[in-house]
Amino acid sequence: MAIVKAEKTPARAAPISESSLIGWMRMHLFSSTFNSILTVISLYIIYITVFGVWKWGVTDAVWVAGNRRECFNISINGACWAGVITWLDNIFYGRYPREDLWRVNLGGLLLFIWMAPLWLPRVKAKVFIGLTTVFLYPFLAGYLFAGGEKGIFMQVMITAAIVCLLGNTTHSIIGLFTGRSLPEFLIRLLGKNAASEKSQRNILLGILVLSFAVVYIWQMGWSVEVVPWTKWGGLFLTLVISGVGIASALPGGIILALGRRSKLPVVRVLSTAFIELFRSVPLITVLFMATTMFPLFMPEGFVLNKLVQVIIAVCLFNACYMAETVRAGLQAIPKGQFEGAHTIGLGYVGTMSLVVMPQALKHMIPNIVGSFIGLLKDTTLVSIIGLFDILGMLRSISRDTPWLGLHKEPLIFGAALFFLICFGMSKYSRHLEVKLSTGNKH
Amino acid sequence: MKLQTLLASVAAVAAVSIAGATVASAQSTLDIVKKRGHLRCQVGQPSPGYYNLDANGNWYGLDVANCQAVAAAIFGDKTKLEIQSVSSQMRFTALANGESDMLSRTATWTMSRDTQLGLDFLQPNFYDGQGFTVRKDSGITSALQMKGAKVCVLTGTTTELNLADFSRVNNLNISAVTFEDFNVRDETYLNGGCDSTTGDKSSMAGNLAAFPVPSDHIILPETISKEPLAPAVRHGDSQWRDIVTWVVFAMINAEELGVTSANVDDMRANSDNVNIRRMLGVEGALHEGLGLNKDWAYNVIKQVGNYGENYEAYMGSGKLGIGIPRAGSANALWTDGGLMYSPPMR
Repeated sequence: MAIVKAEKTPARAAPISESSLIGWMRMHLFSSTFNSILTVISLYIIYITVFGVWKWGVTDAVWVAGNRRECFNISINGACWAGVITWLDNIFYGRYPREDLWRVNLGGLLLFIWMAPLWLPRVKAKVFIGLTTVFLYPFLAGYLFAGGEKGIFMQVMITAAIVCLLGNTTHSIIGLFTGRSLPEFLIRLLGKNAASEKSQRNILLGILVLSFAVVYIWQMGWSVEVVPWTKWGGLFLTLVISGVGIASALPGGIILALGRRSKLPVVRVLSTAFIELFRSVPLITVLFMATTMFPLFMPEGFVLNKLVQVIIAVCLFNACYMAETVRAGLQAIPKGQFEGAHTIGLGYVGTMSLVVMPQALKHMIPNIVGSFIGLLKDTTLVSIIGLFDILGMLRSISRDTPWLGLHKEPLIFGAALFFLICFGMSKYSRHLEVKLSTGNKH
Repeated sequence: MKLQTLLASVAAVAAVSIAGATVASAQSTLDIVKKRGHLRCQVGQPSPGYYNLDANGNWYGLDVANCQAVAAAIFGDKTKLEIQSVSSQMRFTALANGESDMLSRTATWTMSRDTQLGLDFLQPNFYDGQGFTVRKDSGITSALQMKGAKVCVLTGTTTELNLADFSRVNNLNISAVTFEDFNVRDETYLNGGCDSTTGDKSSMAGNLAAFPVPSDHIILPETISKEPLAPAVRHGDSQWRDIVTWVVFAMINAEELGVTSANVDDMRANSDNVNIRRMLGVEGALHEGLGLNKDWAYNVIKQVGNYGENYEAYMGSGKLGIGIPRAGSANALWTDGGLMYSPPMR
């Protein structure tokens, strides 16, 4: 006779007070008289807020109207979204000529196509794709947006960008299906995989030169109309300024951070001075200086494009912030990593690019994305110096005679738009962190 | 905004002293503009009636019409124009350093600005003045009854100073509630945060028209300040000054003579009135003094219209107008008792 039970006692369901919804509510919302009162008050506040906003913004809102007076006539207490809807082109593209909007859209689409492989599995050489996005895409997009006569330099860069885009895209499609890179695929396609490495390289070089020549000749055949920068605006302008700022901040920041940690005194002092100077001044001051004082030092009658001034100011400013982020990342790398790299015979460049930076950058992702989000939002300051970025456009709606005084709806719309973009960026950074975290996850 | 104002004023002083001297001594503004191929005309950040963007991204307004008129006079094409929108802290700097060729924005012509900032104000195209809006049911019918009232006003403007002066002189003890943006000012007033709002009467009329129930509010009869809004150019280039001045005068003169954009072709071909014939370049050589083509005024009137047409379109009851009545105001023609008066064009 066994005292010990042979089979496991079946698990009993959790007591009803723990598991049911009522139990959960009793425990978390109504555990004491005081908490119950708090719960009721909070629920009431949430109810009136949500209900009020919903009533104003959706049920009582006017979506189609010719002007604000019509909105009032339809519903005097609701939002007048009709004004925002009428102004959508201005909000997104600024004063860009309406018949040329496809150029902005195409530029955006190309960027998406260019960067999409970075998200795809099985595609090789992502670093290369990332670098070409930073160094070649801006020429193609810049020409699409600005238009005009193409100089020789622009022709070469545009051709390089198009060749690279075609290469990237076929490379990624091939990679997605076969896991091979474009060169491997081409060699196999031509049946030359048995040939010597040197002749393989020559074949690839030939293909590259040939496609370059074809594209070059093709691109000579078309050009697009000039659109002066004064017509750029809206979300498009905000994204151009912050996009250039983001793309240049990281390389600039890395250089400055390495300069600040350098053993060469001149480099170190210069980098430190530069960083501290820009970091201790507000962005709006830098923008004012760039647009007001800078022209005074230029030769007579020479007016530098205000957009270029702003972009330069934004780039310098953000490179300095990025430099400190990068430096913080570098500090987190233990000394042993440097010493280890030295023992296997790596020089300064090797140590930094192969051992230290890859580890440091991983630590920095939350901060980097944080400063990118900050940069995107800071860009709205340019509306103060007279550029019609998205904020400038949103504020102009309330001055347009048909929509006079309509200021809440546009700002709410802008807030929602910014939230979407910034939230998307921060979600992506979480994704990157998870993907890149290897050993040191807590 | 404090810091910006400080910076901007430092920059303005520097710009005026450095660039004012250099730019003025250089080639004439007309030559620079002609060589560039378009006019750079400065307006402010959108302001109802004077300069606004429409939903298609085009500028319109009374001051924009001035810019277009000068472009039409020089190039015979009102679209050869770049409208620059500059914040009010930077407006005079941008003119002084040569970024803008002329200013056509709601800048009040004052003595200190005219004499100290290195610029010249020209013929005003709008006479404004500060007034008060109150709720009708408050029973107030005169600004002098507003003892101890709370008044909403925009900060950093002359309106704030005028209000303080008015309150002190009349012993009214008005407390000012200040705002950066007229939308927020009006919102606060509508929600009962102030007893009254104050601002330039023209813009208040426009804003009032956009209130949910305009008939609940009235603008009080008192005008407590003089605000002649005039275009301005850099000091020291008389030819350029003449051009901008006479373009404005031509528009006023055209209204007085009954020449409109609709009938100007007919007038040029058939009119016997020697004043009209001289203005439109059929007779005489008025254009030579300005260095423009002989049909400069014709182009202005044909493409932009006379002063009355533009007033009607942007300030009056036109589709894009903000509904300020013109009859009896300072902005009527002198023949109707107003201040719009052009010297003879002969």
